[in-house]
Amino acid sequence: MSEAPISSDLIRGHVDTIILGLLSSKDRYGYELCKEVAQLSDGEYELKEPTLYSAFRRMEPQGLISSRWGEGSQGGRRKYYSITDDGKRAYRQNLEDWKRARTLIDRLVSGESTKE
Amino acid sequence: MEAIRYYVRGAFQGVKQTPQAIEQQEEIIADLLAKVVDLVGEGKSEEEALGMAIASAGDLSPLVAEFEIAEEGAAPIPTVEVYAGALRLHAAVLVVLIGAALMILSTAFGAAVHMLDSSAALILIASVAAATLWLRSAYSAYTADPDTTEFRALTPRPSLLRTLSIWAGVCFAGLLMQFVLSDGFWVWPFWVATTAWALLPMVEISLIKRGVMGVASEPQAANASVNAA
Repeated sequence: MSEAPISSDLIRGHVDTIILGLLSSKDRYGYELCKEVAQLSDGEYELKEPTLYSAFRRMEPQGLISSRWGEGSQGGRRKYYSITDDGKRAYRQNLEDWKRARTLIDRLVSGESTKE
Repeated sequence: MEAIRYYVRGAFQGVKQTPQAIEQQEEIIADLLAKVVDLVGEGKSEEEALGMAIASAGDLSPLVAEFEIAEEGAAPIPTVEVYAGALRLHAAVLVVLIGAALMILSTAFGAAVHMLDSSAALILIASVAAATLWLRSAYSAYTADPDTTEFRALTPRPSLLRTLSIWAGVCFAGLLMQFVLSDGFWVWPFWVATTAWALLPMVEISLIKRGVMGVASEPQAANASVNAA
């Protein structure tokens, strides 16, 4: 624990992309997504439930994801989300945007141009 | 496990209990319960797991703020807390009984007008198998956890209209098939199945109304119990 958990403000703008990325591989329910994010980030970032459900409520009417109630492994009901074709397109676009932004921001915050 | 329900419903206190709001609460409850099961699996005590799950959900108010506020004096959508497993089991038993009665009647009718042929046995076996499977799954869900409850909006109209229109559609398609094939025999199992299925919401509603399967609770009443807890 040498470093403090990363500020959630830095990640907030990318929550939709993170969710779309995780849904690309398989359908998941809310808690499963939180768990996956905690694992992927090695505990450095925690996706809070309210943030997650707000994102679902935003993306479903946009047609990026769809949901259904299903049975969980322990018999309980779970609300599963899956990515739509529009969602896959949005994910690829967001990923491209992020890669461009990343190099740009690197350049801006370090004050060094990588271009000659 | 009730603690989670109280916590979530308490957080949604004052929100207009639309189907969306009720579904959102159900989803949070289901996810938090999954987390509790996980934590207990890691060796935590149930008390500890409940506390950790609720703490990790954090402040629900940003999410709650997205929902419409209940208007003062507006008639709340009547809701009911039903024992889900028991309700499904009873509904399954009743619908299967009704379906069996319909099937016996239509078979007797088929025999009376000499329309029955030898494939009737196959259809009968398939129907009995389907009914057995359904009853078995309903019964095992009931025995697994008879106290599971679900929070439902008592708005039977949309589901009634939907099932009735599907029923009418199947009957119409059946008539059409009968006309095209000039043999209505293959049609009646579908007709019996949809008729029994269309009766399902009515069966559920009457079970809930009789009060055996659920605790009638207006949203206000649910909130009152949160305050008391």
